[in-house]
Amino acid sequence: MKVMVKSKEELLQQLSDSVFEMDDENVADVAKEYIAAGYEALDGVLKGLVDGMNRAGQMYEEEEYFVTDLLVCSDAMYNGLDVLREHLPQEKAAGAVNYKCVIGVVEGDTHDIGKNLVRIMLETAGFEMYDLGRDVPLQSFVQKAKDVDAQLICLSTLMTTTMPGMKEVVDILVKEGIRDKVKVMIGGGPLSQAYCNQINADGYAVNATGAVTLAKQLVGMA
Amino acid sequence: MHAQDQMTPNERLQAFMKGEKMDRILAMPILVSISHRVSGMTHREKRASALKQAQSQIDCYQRYGNDMMIIEYGLHGIGTALGSEMNDPEDSLPAIVNHVLKNLQDIDQLDFNKTKKENDPWFARTLEACEICQEKMGQEVPTGVLITGPFTAVSSILPTENLLRATRKDPASIHRLLRLCTDALKDIYKEYIERGIIILMCDPIASGTLLKKSQYVEFVKPYATELMSYIHELGGMCCYHICGNTTSIVMEMVDTGPDMLSIDNLVDLEYVKEQVGKRLPILGNVPPVDVLMLGSRSDVFESVKTCILKGKDSPMGYIIASGCDITQNVPVENIDYMMEAVRKYGRYPIDEALLNEPATDH
Repeated sequence: MKVMVKSKEELLQQLSDSVFEMDDENVADVAKEYIAAGYEALDGVLKGLVDGMNRAGQMYEEEEYFVTDLLVCSDAMYNGLDVLREHLPQEKAAGAVNYKCVIGVVEGDTHDIGKNLVRIMLETAGFEMYDLGRDVPLQSFVQKAKDVDAQLICLSTLMTTTMPGMKEVVDILVKEGIRDKVKVMIGGGPLSQAYCNQINADGYAVNATGAVTLAKQLVGMA
Repeated sequence: MHAQDQMTPNERLQAFMKGEKMDRILAMPILVSISHRVSGMTHREKRASALKQAQSQIDCYQRYGNDMMIIEYGLHGIGTALGSEMNDPEDSLPAIVNHVLKNLQDIDQLDFNKTKKENDPWFARTLEACEICQEKMGQEVPTGVLITGPFTAVSSILPTENLLRATRKDPASIHRLLRLCTDALKDIYKEYIERGIIILMCDPIASGTLLKKSQYVEFVKPYATELMSYIHELGGMCCYHICGNTTSIVMEMVDTGPDMLSIDNLVDLEYVKEQVGKRLPILGNVPPVDVLMLGSRSDVFESVKTCILKGKDSPMGYIIASGCDITQNVPVENIDYMMEAVRKYGRYPIDEALLNEPATDH
């Protein structure tokens, strides 16, 4: 019996829908079907999975989707990515800029849902993410940024007791003479634009989708 | 009694409940995470001793004349009793570093007997702290306990991300955990109520910043409602607080039946007054970070003025409070300013001209 091969567009739509509709269980099968049909993995990521995640982000922006929805959408995206990743081209196109971002929850704090959402959305937006996790020693942010030549550091905290750590990261960058090379973005429950100004960070975002807009703006990403 | 007041907090609260005359508006800044600073001890010293927990609250009251002392059972008590691991910072609020439950299949392995006062030294210590507060100051000022609500209790057992995912993927298991936590909380609340302590039920993980309304209605409301009726059966009183933006669930929260509603500074007091002011007294909502932590004396005065302007005519009454717990990084003088402003703008009869004067340097 001859099996009908679905069109590329149809499968891309299915990949996108699987993410958008939080179908984290079937998305891997769709991704396998897509690869088996011989379609380009990179398109599967960008026009399929990432497209779905962007649609989810849009719904989050419109307060139709909430944190839980974004988490399950991202589970679906990563499940699909696990299948497509090994088929991606190894070489980057010549002249392509890699936007690199170091992210983490500052020392003393272990609340990381907000940080995880921002990492997911920035990854979706095309940033190369270096996630240092939670309760991260302040010096590690700067060290990692130097090691990978990152343009952006994202600092998160939910606790007021750990807020001063953000200022310390900014101060370390100044002390090491690389403040002009790295932008610093902050986010988290108790923070505000006023605090951002006070510690001389480059930007504050109120939620994960706001963080994407701000990050692109700060690094000059089109 | 504070030198500038004419009534004790007990007398004031009694008058408030009966709708009788008071000297000034009730003021309940949530002085929990800051209290060791007022006493000049570290956070670790405070949490290690019932006497110091009580002393730090008494010190706050003696300095500020605030209308409620608050002992902290906290948000993580159930989880830590069951085996979630906490860090132990010298001078900051501990956080969970390792949740006891990783897999929802292992719910049966949790032993909720561990949450009882005989088996949980933390719980026992906070009860002792309450007893000390009551014994030393009970004639003058009420004591409350800041304690978790059902949903946050589950998040002290299971990592919050897993909890959120499971509301979608495995709701039955989350309902089981909520059932177990609600039953445990009943026994815990009972011990406080028997000591004459007001329950300040805080459920920050149920925040509108994390949950949508339908999740609140399905996973929080039934259990909170059950707890509220239980508190009332025992003759207790409950003030309900959820952090963050609760604008969309304010009605639902009030439907659970609390005696008072405390709102975060992310919610507009005017809106809440219109929605539910006829049903119960409202507490709120001086911003703890932008005003109390980062603001000047003038900022504190203006914020108190704004809150009183918005809240003063709430039909069932208004109590000025901070929008959330006040952290140890807040300058202790700013609480002096908050209370000074309350005594200026909140003195009865309210001086409308004073309240409506334009912003100035205080």
